[in-house]
Amino acid sequence: MVTLKCTSVLIPVLLCAGVVPREVSADPGHYRVVTLETPGGVDMEASGLALLPDGRLAVGLRKGEVWILDHPTAEPPLAERVGYHLFASGLHELLGLAWRDGALYATQRAEVTRLRDTDGDGSADEYLSVASGWGVSGAYHEYAYGPAFDASGNMYTSLNSSMGAKWKGAGVESVETKWRGWCMETGADGVTRPFAAGFRSPCGIGNNREGEVFVTDQQGTWFGTNPILHVRKGAFFGHAESLAFAREPGSPVVHPGKLPETMTVAEARSAVPGYTSPAVWLPYVKMGQSPTGLRFDETGGKFGPFGGQMFVGEFVYSGVNRVFLEKVGGEYQGACFPFIKELQSAVLSVNFLADGSMVVGQSNRGWNSFGNKSFGLQRIVWTGRAPFEVRQMQLLADGFRFLFTEPLASGVAPGPSDFGGQSYTYLYHSKYGSPEVGAEQLTVESVEVAADRTSVTVRCGRLREGHVHELFLPELISESGQKLLHRDAYYTLNRRVPSASR
Amino acid sequence: MLRLLLKTLPGLAAFAVVFFEASLRASPVVFAYEQLHAPKLSAGSGGDRAAAGALLFSELRCSACHADKLSLRGVPGAPAAVDLSDVGSRLSKSAIAEWLRAPSSVKPGTTMPSCFGPGEGDARSISQIAAYLASLNQRTYPAFPAGDAARGRELYYRVGCVACHAPEAPGALPSVRSVPLALGRFYAAGALAAFLQNPLETRPHGRMPAFGLSPSEAADLAEYFKQTAPKGGLAPSAADGSKISPEEVAAGRAAFVQKGCVSCHSHGGNDAAPPGPARDRLRPDAGCLSDKIPAGLPDYELDALQKVALRAFVAGPPAGAHEPLLLEQLNCLACHARDGRGGPEPSRAVYFKANDPGAESLGELGHLPPRLDAVGAKLTAGWLEKLFWKGGGSVRPYLDARMPQFGEAAGRLLTDWLLAADRNAAPAQMDVSGVQGHQRGPVGRQLVGTAGLGCVSCHGILGRKSLGPTVLQLTHATERLQPEYFKRLLLNPQATQPGTLMPPLFAGRKAAEKEVESIWTYLREAASLPLPEGLLSAGDYELKPSTAGRPVVFRSFVEGAGTHAVAVGFPEGVHLCFDARACRWKVAWKGRFLDAMNNWKERAMPPIAPLGIELRALTPAEDAPETRLRFLGYRLDPRGIPSFLYEVNGVEVEDRVEPFADGGGLTRSVRIVKGGSEMRLPSILSGELVVGREKREEALSW
Repeated sequence: MVTLKCTSVLIPVLLCAGVVPREVSADPGHYRVVTLETPGGVDMEASGLALLPDGRLAVGLRKGEVWILDHPTAEPPLAERVGYHLFASGLHELLGLAWRDGALYATQRAEVTRLRDTDGDGSADEYLSVASGWGVSGAYHEYAYGPAFDASGNMYTSLNSSMGAKWKGAGVESVETKWRGWCMETGADGVTRPFAAGFRSPCGIGNNREGEVFVTDQQGTWFGTNPILHVRKGAFFGHAESLAFAREPGSPVVHPGKLPETMTVAEARSAVPGYTSPAVWLPYVKMGQSPTGLRFDETGGKFGPFGGQMFVGEFVYSGVNRVFLEKVGGEYQGACFPFIKELQSAVLSVNFLADGSMVVGQSNRGWNSFGNKSFGLQRIVWTGRAPFEVRQMQLLADGFRFLFTEPLASGVAPGPSDFGGQSYTYLYHSKYGSPEVGAEQLTVESVEVAADRTSVTVRCGRLREGHVHELFLPELISESGQKLLHRDAYYTLNRRVPSASR
Repeated sequence: MLRLLLKTLPGLAAFAVVFFEASLRASPVVFAYEQLHAPKLSAGSGGDRAAAGALLFSELRCSACHADKLSLRGVPGAPAAVDLSDVGSRLSKSAIAEWLRAPSSVKPGTTMPSCFGPGEGDARSISQIAAYLASLNQRTYPAFPAGDAARGRELYYRVGCVACHAPEAPGALPSVRSVPLALGRFYAAGALAAFLQNPLETRPHGRMPAFGLSPSEAADLAEYFKQTAPKGGLAPSAADGSKISPEEVAAGRAAFVQKGCVSCHSHGGNDAAPPGPARDRLRPDAGCLSDKIPAGLPDYELDALQKVALRAFVAGPPAGAHEPLLLEQLNCLACHARDGRGGPEPSRAVYFKANDPGAESLGELGHLPPRLDAVGAKLTAGWLEKLFWKGGGSVRPYLDARMPQFGEAAGRLLTDWLLAADRNAAPAQMDVSGVQGHQRGPVGRQLVGTAGLGCVSCHGILGRKSLGPTVLQLTHATERLQPEYFKRLLLNPQATQPGTLMPPLFAGRKAAEKEVESIWTYLREAASLPLPEGLLSAGDYELKPSTAGRPVVFRSFVEGAGTHAVAVGFPEGVHLCFDARACRWKVAWKGRFLDAMNNWKERAMPPIAPLGIELRALTPAEDAPETRLRFLGYRLDPRGIPSFLYEVNGVEVEDRVEPFADGGGLTRSVRIVKGGSEMRLPSILSGELVVGREKREEALSW
């Protein structure tokens, strides 16, 4: 799929008007992309998205403002139809926004702030600090993200590691980095406590229907590639900087001792006490280069055939990836799939609107992205026609079951030689990123199409714990004549299925 | 030896550890051998003994006396001679004599062999040679600024010395033996500074490269070495001051030639060493490689493994194309990795730092010297020349470590070798024809800008910083890079430069090749074209409460108020800043308020400074550490004036400031909301303010 961009004077007459729905890499027959016009003079660097109960959308901007959109689903999406109002301003690098019990919660550098409009004039007049207490030394990576809420109303905020030079002019504050690289929990008693450690740059945080909290983090030191982490109390996800505080009062994390110089993630799972590996790895470059905000599809089918699954923003590829999770041996693991890319700008935040469409908030300030607009808002709207995709990739004791969004066309009977694949893991070390290591070809032994033709069971030799299993599917055709849209799938196998089950 | 060192180092325990480590083993340190070969040989896992031996053969200058078995194309068999033609200006006669008597005791790990025995004849030779060399003292060194040892120490760690030389304990000591340092013990400060500034002058072989130190840096580093050098035993003796007779000079000069010193050292004459008996013989088990070195032969104090390596080399066939030898000879791999070999070990890598926060998120790429894989297919000959000896080739100002200069002779060899070794098998085509007619430059400029591919997100050009992280400037790209490499890198970053953070921006772009050619053309013409979009922006982001007609509340990092600052600007032209961590007012000023550009446009969001005048620091002292403080937030009244809420030791306070109508000052009113009836809070004037349930006011005026 070719995306047209107005980048060259050689092709001067292309359509670039922001409100014209553009063709994007997902088949336009399934999803269409609506680019919201934004008010002139406002850099809509949408870093946080919160849906209000009445269907309005609150948008948090990196520059520290909150805007309310009265009709975020209006079409054509002209600014005056959408209706933008400034609600709050003057916040310090807002990187997350949520709605809960009649108030907006905005996360800024040093605190989570509860914003309310008590006099009904349409803008906030109450800015109350509801979570704070982590160090802010002035190092510029010290971002704070969130919040997310669990089922019982506890609030979670993820904190970037400090990474680098402090602001010496900040005096006593310049040495305060406590709880950097941690996820914090704020209980109903209003007290903020350390919850889990080992994060590097955990810029997406969200929860599933059950209220369990997930975080995305960034490839770099201690993370061989980009991870999706299931956050639990006391877990340590690997980044060493956070361990400086593991022995502080209140820490639920047991210090694992001296970390190894170099070992694989598969080895670290047993060798490093308390180390919790990601539920899902997003292989570098193959699945993008920088995951951002995450959100589970709870639209009840209004967004298409992927109900309950996680959607994750991707900065560099300016897109959204999809993640299927399942519990094996009591832990989440699963597979990731490309969903859409080549949107207009880097995706920072993801949410769903009242009509079941997805909205993404965008800003590429400070880093590069395929989408060359600096900021914006786009909606991704399901047309009602399902793409032919792998809906789920379930682990079996001796292989994988691929569940499709549509039955295979009759007569389609792929054999073992039609499938390819390999398994590999990553290095767990202080260096930046990791190549895929310990790669081993997967030998597909048999392929079986289910009687209802909606799934295919692929049995293959030597499944390995702690490894990503990458499978390439053949060019399959569905009952309605569609080609399989994305043929690569990456399953992070932390635990094997005991051979008796399934 | 050890006892002597420890005794002479009171209070210098750290260095004692380093010297202790070195003095345990006196075998010569050839850094690349220690780094790349010794671990494999000693682990018994084999390693390439002959390759290790070739390196030792070269670096110990075996070919000075023996046939040059390293008859490689372009690879010299030994480092160029050390120039002693004015050594007497640097070293005293007694220091030279001490050194000649026992080089490896004075400097454990030196590659200088012991050439003299304890006999009387040798003692006379030492004395004569020392006298002769001391007479070569016609040089005067320029005056250097006074050195500062603390700054010198900082430089030692910053610019890259510890890639080869020892870092002090504490800290993990490197496992690779360090190149010993002893000049601080011998040299006068001025001579040492001169040497550090230009080591190639006396050591043209480039094994100690030049780091481009300024005079004051050289003086600082010299002072650091002077202060940390072991003292004693080598102070100039009375004899040093006495005049050396022409007879002594003549005798010493004759001994210098006769003893073979001229094999490795130049001294301003053209004398050749008398041919040694071993010129054409190389025997693995005799001479310098004997288990017990016969009297009269140089003793390198080789350890067992070094002998094994040299024997393997000597016994083997003549060396063929032993490719990485030049990189090992010049120690390139101490700082750079290539083909999976080399690069600083972790205990040295920790000293390689970035000086720009924008580079910190780049990981190793942001603080370690670049890898050299296929560098001969990447950089142009002209740029390699700049890097190795002409200067001006460094393009990574965010790295603390400096790329040193190796001198023209070594630099030319390295340039030629890299270009030949890495030559592209199938060069990509770079069509840059039709420059003007096809408007390629302007098209490329568009692609580089934010509306194109956004290269300016990470790359600055012509001195303008990038919008985001600090990576290489594009200014010299076309002068520096081979066009084929540039094209391959852009089309397929990971395959061309594994580990790069450059995203694959051209994937799936139909006209990718043409676009790359346009960018190349733009980069060649950049100086004559406007800057790319994105680097042009210069908006007005000043916050103006008077224009807004309402107070402006703005949180940021603010100078004078720290990282939890909440600034309040009033239309009346008076402004102040609350510190939400310390729960108190920190600074007030008049005139202009704040510029929000850092918060609104920068990636790194650096601290901002009050724009106005007549700054007043308020309540500068900190609370007692046991004070429990909790910032609760603020509420805006209908006019937009904030009332700050906070708790001090469980007592909740409301704190509000309003300007005088004429802008001449401001009134602060404070009251306890709950949890107590009276308490003392810091006043914004001086001292404390007693606060109760009723509003308590104080006024600050200019």
